[in-house]
Amino acid sequence: MGTTEDKSIFSSYIKKDGLFDEVFDKNGDVKSVYQKLLDLYGTRTIDDYVNLNNKAKSSFFNQGITFQVYGDKQSQEKIFPFDLFPRIISTDEWEIIEKGAIQRNIALNHFLWDVYHDKKIVKDKVVPIELLSSSPNYLHQMMGVDPPNQIYNHISGTDIIKHSDGNYYVLEDNIRCPSGVSYVICNRTALKRALFGVFNHYKTHSVTNYAENLLHLLETAKPHGVDAPVTVVITPGMFNSAYYEHSYLAKAMGVELVEGRDLFVENDFVYMKTTQGPVRVDVVYRRIDDLFLDPMEFSPDSALGVPGIFAAYRKGNVTLANAPGTGVADDKAIYTYMPDIIKYYLDEEPILKNVHTYHCSRPKELQYVLDNIKDLVIKPVDEAGGYGISIGNRLTKDEIERVKSEVKANPRKYVAQPIMSLSVHPTYIDQKESFEQRHVDLRTFTVLGKDEQFVLKGGLTRVALKEGNLIVNSSQGGGSKDTWVLKQ
Amino acid sequence: MLYEYEIDYDTRNSYEMGLNEAFWQFLVIPEENDTQELTYWHFENDLDEKNSVSENGLGFKTVQVRSKKELDHIKFNAHFKLIKKEINPFDFDLPLDINEERKLVDSLDFRVDYEPYLRKTKFTQLLEEHKSIYAFDPKKSIFENLTELNHWAYGHLYFKTGVTDVNTSLDEIIENRHGVCQDFTHLFCAIAKHHGVPARYVSGYLHQGHGFFGDSQMHAWAEAFVPNVGWIGFDPTNNVLANHNHIKVCHGKDYIDCAPLKGVVYTLGKNETEYTVQVKASQQQ
Repeated sequence: MGTTEDKSIFSSYIKKDGLFDEVFDKNGDVKSVYQKLLDLYGTRTIDDYVNLNNKAKSSFFNQGITFQVYGDKQSQEKIFPFDLFPRIISTDEWEIIEKGAIQRNIALNHFLWDVYHDKKIVKDKVVPIELLSSSPNYLHQMMGVDPPNQIYNHISGTDIIKHSDGNYYVLEDNIRCPSGVSYVICNRTALKRALFGVFNHYKTHSVTNYAENLLHLLETAKPHGVDAPVTVVITPGMFNSAYYEHSYLAKAMGVELVEGRDLFVENDFVYMKTTQGPVRVDVVYRRIDDLFLDPMEFSPDSALGVPGIFAAYRKGNVTLANAPGTGVADDKAIYTYMPDIIKYYLDEEPILKNVHTYHCSRPKELQYVLDNIKDLVIKPVDEAGGYGISIGNRLTKDEIERVKSEVKANPRKYVAQPIMSLSVHPTYIDQKESFEQRHVDLRTFTVLGKDEQFVLKGGLTRVALKEGNLIVNSSQGGGSKDTWVLKQ
Repeated sequence: MLYEYEIDYDTRNSYEMGLNEAFWQFLVIPEENDTQELTYWHFENDLDEKNSVSENGLGFKTVQVRSKKELDHIKFNAHFKLIKKEINPFDFDLPLDINEERKLVDSLDFRVDYEPYLRKTKFTQLLEEHKSIYAFDPKKSIFENLTELNHWAYGHLYFKTGVTDVNTSLDEIIENRHGVCQDFTHLFCAIAKHHGVPARYVSGYLHQGHGFFGDSQMHAWAEAFVPNVGWIGFDPTNNVLANHNHIKVCHGKDYIDCAPLKGVVYTLGKNETEYTVQVKASQQQ
């Protein structure tokens, strides 16, 4: 393998002004955590890299790591585009992220307990009651229900970005059924396979311990009187976009993957049908949304759920994770109150910043949004996966008018935020056969258990593969990178 | 005075194509409360399957039947005996001051505490153009307003079976002005909520000795919350306050929370549901 000057991998890398580059500082010098990596990559050419990248890609196909996009006519499976050039996070920066994620998710859990019990935060006028009463995810069936260990959001996915000011901001709290952790683990496996020589030069925290920690913490929430709980993962089925992940997690935890029809309820206990007869199920990691969980309680025409499972849950005979009703806090309007929520329950300053948010439900702020729509991101409060997001400076005149009238017609449905400049990271672009700057974010994974918490040391760095694009979700054409969190 | 009732709930559901797995849940057991005491209950199905008693998400007792047999129908019978206390619906002290009462209802704490029954649902949400269809009189107490609303709803709709079903929207009912007890009840609840008074849908049995509407079927009426008094039952289908003839099973935000039968059946083809209800006053003490 030869090294020619003009074919080295960063030879045509363009560093744009005003963007925060994760690898290069303002002067164009390599940041210290990346130095060793660049020294090693520096001896390689673009051709070498392409070779490696192709190998990694085929290994993804072979492992069946794919996802599906809703609304695609053919609904075909795609591989999640993966970039071999990793993102590296130093020990110190990670400490902030980890503490911040735990703080946020514990505060969210307090919030959930409160809104399903005393509702103090609403009576104290910190959070307006309308946010609850207009949320379809605020379940009356959960009023006064005490979930095991008082935990609602067992599993949370906190989306974090680094802004051009160099600070971390939280973009979203995903506490319904956050997905993506399987890609973290598969990215690591693929990277290690392709670049073992490079990986070996860093002391990086493992990510493959996620499943065992998840299982351990889920089992701390087992029902009373159960010694060795039987845990299952329930999936809506193979047509769900995250089916790969559901099956991966079940396999990695060593538990059964089931669909609704594989379970049944009798006398308020949940059983799994097996060839050896019914087996009692104690803990269900559910990847089905609340409203489809139990047709006896929620959406009556759902064929995905298990009839009677909610009654079993209310009786304490089975644990559902995340708890039903958790979705009320997974709402972009609630997000905007997070600094207040953290202060209210923990009496602490938020470790991770919130992006300033305008509520279209407030007349003054609505007017500001309508007047400044060009500089704002408009988001529906109740959509996941990056659907329905409009970025003001990317809209045509007609589109602006359309978005304006939609917002005016249904102000409660929308919030707006200043357009954040997500940091960029060198990313290999297939079509150009070179490295270019692309915007990235980071989805972190937090698991709450009885008196213990676990944050996966790593996370899913999502990359917007289209130049200049700020939306990183896989359903919107994003890719991913392995994320290395360094040991001290 | 005490009344003793015997209640029979009979249903037969048939499935054109047959099925081999099903789950049914019956929400038909009378609630036990200050005025109702259940002295006997018995459940039967013709599938030879267990009838298990469970509780729904709002704490009301249900009967669940699960079957894994091949079948084309289920017959289910529930039989109850119940003692009901005489209720004098007017037997309470009205709150003294009308302004105080309004202030309380409008206060944040009240709106938070009663949020579940102030929340509008698909069946209790008034369209913009219907919001002024019935105005509360600010010079009258909430109880008086509710009584007049009860009377108004009774007059606004004509009782007619077969013209509405569980999917008929509230605005259709308001426009077409006819319906059955659940439509009267949704209308009452929607207007009460619109005026800031918590209201809930009640499902139950009506002893029809007095020529009331709602015979041979489950009945529906409303409960509205009057400050300092509590939940009071209003039966807009019959223009009365709920009394000893109203045997309550459960309440909820609307019909969806109270449907007497919910089922999950794995089959194609049509299914048919028929049911009858019989309420007998067996003895008066």
